[in-house]
Amino acid sequence: MPYHQFECSKCIPERIKHAVDKTKNDLTEALPLGYLNTIPGTLSERGCAYCGAKHVIGTPMKDVIHLSHGPIGCTYDTWQTKRYISDNDNFQIKYTFASDMKEKHIVFGAEKVLKNNIIEAFKAFPKIKRMTIYQTCASALIGDDIKAIANEIMDEMPDVDIFVCNSPGFAGPSQSGGHHKINLAWVNDKVGQVEPKITSDYVINYVGEYNIQGDQEVMQDYFKRMGIQILSTFTGNGSYDDLRAMHRAQLNVLECARSAEYICDELRKRYGIPRMDIDGFGFKALTSSLRKIGLFFGIEDRAEAIIEEETKRWKPELDWYAARLQGKKICLWPGGSKLWHWAHIIHEEMGLEVVSVYTKFGHQGDMEKGISRCEAGALAIDDPNELESLEAMYKLKPDLIVTGKRPGEVAKKIRVPYLNAHAYHNGPYKGFEGWVRFARDIYNAVYSPIHKLSLTDISKDEITTDKSFVTRQMLSDDQLDESIINSEKLHEYTGEFDSVKKLRRKEYPQYPMKGKLAAV
Amino acid sequence: MEITTESGKDALMNYIMKNCLWQFNSRGWDRKLQNENIIEKATQILCMEETTKESLADRCYWAEAQQLVNEWECFSWLKAMNSVDIKTMMGKLKEALDYQLITNSLNEELKNPNY
Repeated sequence: MPYHQFECSKCIPERIKHAVDKTKNDLTEALPLGYLNTIPGTLSERGCAYCGAKHVIGTPMKDVIHLSHGPIGCTYDTWQTKRYISDNDNFQIKYTFASDMKEKHIVFGAEKVLKNNIIEAFKAFPKIKRMTIYQTCASALIGDDIKAIANEIMDEMPDVDIFVCNSPGFAGPSQSGGHHKINLAWVNDKVGQVEPKITSDYVINYVGEYNIQGDQEVMQDYFKRMGIQILSTFTGNGSYDDLRAMHRAQLNVLECARSAEYICDELRKRYGIPRMDIDGFGFKALTSSLRKIGLFFGIEDRAEAIIEEETKRWKPELDWYAARLQGKKICLWPGGSKLWHWAHIIHEEMGLEVVSVYTKFGHQGDMEKGISRCEAGALAIDDPNELESLEAMYKLKPDLIVTGKRPGEVAKKIRVPYLNAHAYHNGPYKGFEGWVRFARDIYNAVYSPIHKLSLTDISKDEITTDKSFVTRQMLSDDQLDESIINSEKLHEYTGEFDSVKKLRRKEYPQYPMKGKLAAV
Repeated sequence: MEITTESGKDALMNYIMKNCLWQFNSRGWDRKLQNENIIEKATQILCMEETTKESLADRCYWAEAQQLVNEWECFSWLKAMNSVDIKTMMGKLKEALDYQLITNSLNEELKNPNY
């Protein structure tokens, strides 16, 4: 497999080792470098280590005041840009807190202002008794002792608990450095402090899941139907005190290994809790995941019942979209883990051709997974700059890219449709129904008439006035076989606009406890 | 086409690399443990030998192995293979996994002593 030379990056020779053309299944010939400092001269699309700690992992915790000790811009730029909802009216999304450091604090120190801010925040929200504080570049450089202040407050206000995360923006090549730091800080400082009430023979931590538009709640629904107790979710829709009790689980079910494998590995070392990596996306991959969790606990029949019911309900709808998406070219350009969560299953189940995978902050391990799972011919890129992304899009001519907002806007400028891989368009995308919602969003993006219209240059192109009316389905069904168009079995998505809220009212079967992991 | 232990190993290797995640843990020593335990248990299941699953760790390895063997039902030739050939093939499979993902891997993080 050859390394890929971008024309635009010939002047940055180090970049050649960051992109590979997949020609066959052999990872020993070439593998993009990863998790390295961005090369001077290349304009990266990455986030910082503070953002990785706070925005990705810390703030999805739902019953917590999340306070940044630094300039207000740091907290503003990590606020509300990712839709990690929660079942407590989205407290963590509605409010953001900062100590609002200014130049005078850099000179004279900001510990006093931090202490005042902590007290003020707890007074403003008297029902919230938990807080996380995030160091930023500014507070790290002046050496404010945030932990000392937090300890002072906890002495003065015994009913509150505070977690301090020292992960300033410069503490790593990308947001991934922050993921690592907050994982270790949490397991070092907080795990083991709370003894949970065990209500099931089958107890898991659900790790590396951030409840984007309800992903966690969808998976939680399956686990509850299986009679599994989710002791904690790290961290989407997760509760601070539940996460202090992670040490009592029998299994860590790990979704995003990129952001949260560290805590699973530490829990395995320190408490003997095994780690099971799963895929929550795609019918086949999710089916396999539920089955192996069922096997671990000896409750395969409960997993099978869910798989049968969900597949019967949603497969005809997935197939409606799959029939119309065959052969469409897609670039999977997410942040870290979704390139490998999606690379194989989006091809198998929706018929899309993955022409490129990239990762902004992934490590080489993510590339190993992504390259293994995508088909030959795909271009794999680590930490691309904007010019490389543009060059790749002009060359590969994708029908769609699935990426973040920044590169997504670049794609739109050259008339390539994009879907938001981080915050989603109309998620959740996990679960059986979620996978159909993803297919629907892909279909709507690929066949949106606006993209064809946007390619028309009104200054020189002829504008037809008699053939202007067009719908997505007129475009998608134009070359489609009659038997598919007229199929009574296949149909479009029929779920509700909000597929998550109903789950919060749902009642679950009660399985009597037998006192130990039944099958062991 | 006749399936040999070599071609069978290639088919199983492709399946694992495409569909599984357990072989990609981030450190070399960890991958070694995963490969050893899961392939050993999968071999035992295929040969209908007894498998240990008393500890949580063993149970996790076993669940991965059992699910893998269940999914390998798509390979009809596997059912016709005798235990000797299965063991030879699975030995080669483990060697191939170790070669691709540990000993000849270009992943520079595998040797990092910390998580």
